[in-house]
Amino acid sequence: MAAKVKQLPSRGGTPAEKVYLIEIFKGMAITLKHFLRNLWDNSNLYVRHYPEVQPDIPARWRGRHRLLTHPDGTPKCVACFMCQTNCPADCIMIKAGTRIDGVTEKMPVSFTIDLAECIYCGYCVEACPEDAIRMDTGIYAFTSSNREEMKIGMTEMLSLKGGFPEEEYQKGLEGE
Amino acid sequence: MNQPVELQPDETFVLNVGPQHPATHGVLRIKMEMNGEYIVHAETVVGYIHRMHEKMGEIKTYPQFLMNLSRLDYLGAMGYSHCHALCVEKAAGIEVPKRAEYIRVIMVELNRISSHLVWLGAFIMDLGGFTPLLYTFQAREHILDMMERITGARLTYCYIRFGGVSRDIDDQFIQSARDFMPYMRKELVKYHKLVTGNIIFKKRLIGMGHISPEMCRKYGASSGVARGAGINFDIRRNEPYSVYPELEFEVPVYDGCDNMSRYMVRMDEIEQSLRIVEHALDQLPDGPVMPKKAPKNIKPPAGDYYQATETARGTFGVRLVSDGSTTPYRMKLRSPTYSNMHLFDEACKGLMIMDAMAMMGTLDLVIPEIDR
Amino acid sequence: MILTLTILLAVIIAIAWAAFNAAYLVLAERRGAGIIQRRPGPNINGPFGLLQPPLDGIKLMAKQLIIPDGADKFMYISAPVLVMCPAIMSFVALPYSDWLQAQNIDVGLLMVFAFASMGTMGIVFAGWSSRNKYSLMAAMRSVSQAVAYEIPMIITALTITLMAGTTNLDAIVAQQSENFFHWNIFPLFGETHNILMPFSFLIFFICSMAETNRAPFDLGEAEGELVAGFHIEYGSMGFGLFFMGEYANIVIGATLATIFFLGGWSCPFGLFPGVWWFLIKMYAIIFTIIWIRWTFPRTTIYGLLNLSWKILIPASLVNLLLTAGLMKVF
Repeated sequence: MAAKVKQLPSRGGTPAEKVYLIEIFKGMAITLKHFLRNLWDNSNLYVRHYPEVQPDIPARWRGRHRLLTHPDGTPKCVACFMCQTNCPADCIMIKAGTRIDGVTEKMPVSFTIDLAECIYCGYCVEACPEDAIRMDTGIYAFTSSNREEMKIGMTEMLSLKGGFPEEEYQKGLEGE
Repeated sequence: MNQPVELQPDETFVLNVGPQHPATHGVLRIKMEMNGEYIVHAETVVGYIHRMHEKMGEIKTYPQFLMNLSRLDYLGAMGYSHCHALCVEKAAGIEVPKRAEYIRVIMVELNRISSHLVWLGAFIMDLGGFTPLLYTFQAREHILDMMERITGARLTYCYIRFGGVSRDIDDQFIQSARDFMPYMRKELVKYHKLVTGNIIFKKRLIGMGHISPEMCRKYGASSGVARGAGINFDIRRNEPYSVYPELEFEVPVYDGCDNMSRYMVRMDEIEQSLRIVEHALDQLPDGPVMPKKAPKNIKPPAGDYYQATETARGTFGVRLVSDGSTTPYRMKLRSPTYSNMHLFDEACKGLMIMDAMAMMGTLDLVIPEIDR
Repeated sequence: MILTLTILLAVIIAIAWAAFNAAYLVLAERRGAGIIQRRPGPNINGPFGLLQPPLDGIKLMAKQLIIPDGADKFMYISAPVLVMCPAIMSFVALPYSDWLQAQNIDVGLLMVFAFASMGTMGIVFAGWSSRNKYSLMAAMRSVSQAVAYEIPMIITALTITLMAGTTNLDAIVAQQSENFFHWNIFPLFGETHNILMPFSFLIFFICSMAETNRAPFDLGEAEGELVAGFHIEYGSMGFGLFFMGEYANIVIGATLATIFFLGGWSCPFGLFPGVWWFLIKMYAIIFTIIWIRWTFPRTTIYGLLNLSWKILIPASLVNLLLTAGLMKVF
């Protein structure tokens, strides 16, 4: 399978190409075809009228982070610092404390993620042994007017709900 | 002011194609000394977007640095992470399952197609034709949607891991990749009709922007620049890696040394990438996508390792000097666009500024990759 | 007194027509470009985006007019005026119907071409006074292009004058009004049996596109190399005036092409001649100009000048000689 060196035809070429006008009309025919097709059939335009129409976010989309809770409402996070160590951007700041409700020993007293530093790689989700943090909220657009607001805390992340039903998220993980 | 001004026979002025310019595809500064419309001397000044990736390579651990590679050249991000992963796997001796290798190749080739579509749109826009940009971006949306379903992002795929890929692909992806191929082939025919056959494009491409093979060898140019000058060099063929030896594809080489050859090289590469994806999907084996014993702590033994791959821009190389700890001692990234771009200084002498800009478009520059 | 007032009213209507066209053609171009490129174009402000031009005008007027430090103030400020005013003044001579005309000027053809040449001076003023090397280069390119393409245009107009025997635009249309095939573009039943007439229409069309700096001849405003060309340093209403001047020139070019070659306001089948036929033909030509802009890339400066000096001028001269010869014979 050796590569062949190809020769290009030189300028001018066939007699049909020598009369420039034919090629020019061929090019114009293509754009005219697009023009007429899109004029009558408005639905074929490859345009999304954002923000009235929102895009479809797949289940694996890495959006805003959220912390999960057990069915009884206690946060699943045990402040093991795996996500903080693995984070390439050093954007997670956890302060651990003794757990006041539940069986395990530790729980986070404060859990801040600086969304401005985060690179949305998903390492924290992969590193977590408890499935306590996920990026499946489906929120892809967030703005704020100062840097302090970009640091989200534990209460905010606990209150966010997942953007997809649980089976869809799990199916997205497995990739069957 | 009553002294007559004596004009020198070749009076030149300095035109600054500054960091902010629509045609330079990024923040690149070119100091041009011009005589009327002809360029006498050009000097490219880089460094406006230097982000210290190689320094970060010395501070971050291996898995943490893997994420940086997507940001190097954002248009062909998958190919860069692939190269870095191959280098570290070579160093640390990590085995990659067959299915993961095939998935990596499929993703890299799809990414190559989407990068070439951006190049095509931007290049035609530089020449003055505004419409093909929209058509190529529409075709590219199909690829980005496919990859978004699998990897979770549209541009900064953090998908490749040491040992394989992070998540498996599903049947819907395979089906949409197969559906994409006839669509893309029809689009390629349309681009050829609209662009390659057009007399105005032909006058600007054929015979213009001569870059000889000796100049390519002198500056170390690769990819479209070298293969458009007749140099038959493609890392996928000459220094094969991953599963490329098992896949059937051709390497397009044209020996015209002009803009048209470089343009045709990349258009043919899109077609060949479609062939590779087709074959890889046919030969896709079953199995896991990460090795059973995925290493937790990556500590390659001390030594000097090098791996090169063929990305959309050219020969990208990663040289890893490890001292046995969790962070590299030196992570050198050989950027293909850096070598491709510097021959612009020599190649544009005597050209008019319009032709120089057209030639720069065929070099396929992405400035953040030059400055790393 | 009444006469003066009617003349004033006619001139004001001509100016209003020019300004209306300049504003709404921008919208038509943006929508046409959008539909060719599979996107809708501006359609949010008002139904079909019809409120977009007035809002754009308000935006442009509200911006700050910045004059670069060291720019030649008088030339900088007068340049957009020099581009816009001759274009508007030419509208006084153009007839849209046998009664719809601001002034029936006997040398109307000469007047329109004289004003068209003045626009080039405005471009040079803009390029020089901006104190910017990019705009200077763009202005030089524009001037050489304008000079080169005026010649075939005027020679083609001379051919029409030969055939019609007058430079009165009204009379030129009147001679084509008998029948569909008496339009000047059709060679067989007209005055001269000159088979090259469609080619002279093509020459005139190409020249009018090149005169108005319109793609694929838009070297003066090339975005790729010269970042907006001769109007780099103009913001707000200076840029607005350049834009409107360009579109007014396009309308003048299309109007002249309709008058010379397509029979003006006469109908193809001899029914209901009137201003609507004129407008249909004129807008068909303008649509073609917009369509060509979004299909083709830019030519190079030497390709452009070669096309004019080596191809169009000899072709139009041959056409003129052939017309004169055939008129003598038949």
